[in-house]
Amino acid sequence: MMECLKKPWTYWVGGVLLGVLNVVLLALSGTVWQVTGGFLLWGAGALELAGFEPFKWEFFKLHHAKYGEIILNHNIFINKYTILNVGVIVGSLLATLLASQFKIGKAKNIKQVVFALIGGIMMGYGARLAAGCNIGSFFSGIPSFSLHAWVFWIFVVLGAWLGTKILIKYLL
Amino acid sequence: MAVRDLDCLYEACPIPLIKTMKELRTMNSGDILVVHSDQSCVGVIMVEWAEQNNYQVKLVETENGEWEVYIQKP
Repeated sequence: MMECLKKPWTYWVGGVLLGVLNVVLLALSGTVWQVTGGFLLWGAGALELAGFEPFKWEFFKLHHAKYGEIILNHNIFINKYTILNVGVIVGSLLATLLASQFKIGKAKNIKQVVFALIGGIMMGYGARLAAGCNIGSFFSGIPSFSLHAWVFWIFVVLGAWLGTKILIKYLL
Repeated sequence: MAVRDLDCLYEACPIPLIKTMKELRTMNSGDILVVHSDQSCVGVIMVEWAEQNNYQVKLVETENGEWEVYIQKP
């Protein structure tokens, strides 16, 4: 059993499993898999603790259908989106422990740290402008017949192409 | 025949593969490149790429979560 956990699975096995699990999740919870929504609420919750009023911003008026219920009736930090995100982290940890490949990662150098931070911030900001990340917009969006997911897909391809060019030219 | 080491520890995909392709271009026929990595995807993608391009390749997990990929330039 451990041997099949040790080696990465093929793309099609992973794809089929993810698809089936997303259907199960939708059937059980009424929400598709998404990642950045949970972090968005955390960020807004932190701003609120710091004395700002993010939930009065235009953004939350626009996305009232999605986040309104949570803002009004639930804990900003502990809600279904948080559970989804914690599940990803716990699940990955479990997988890597079962394969006995757990290892604390180190940063190679300062340049890597700086670029990881810049990249992370840009990805997070972009994900919010696009109403989701790879998972929410693309993986869950296209099967839901959402047009925005196709637009997202086109620009992800363009962005990945540009990112690769920058990586090869400046970062290697 | 020379043996060269390429340190790709703590570097995420696809950087190890791009570095390997770059390094191999500067090497002579018969030389061996040893790539050190701690990314599980490196094993899969490097072996796949090497086999497609007719390089002799061997993947060894030296300790849990750390790999060495041996690639010989034909």
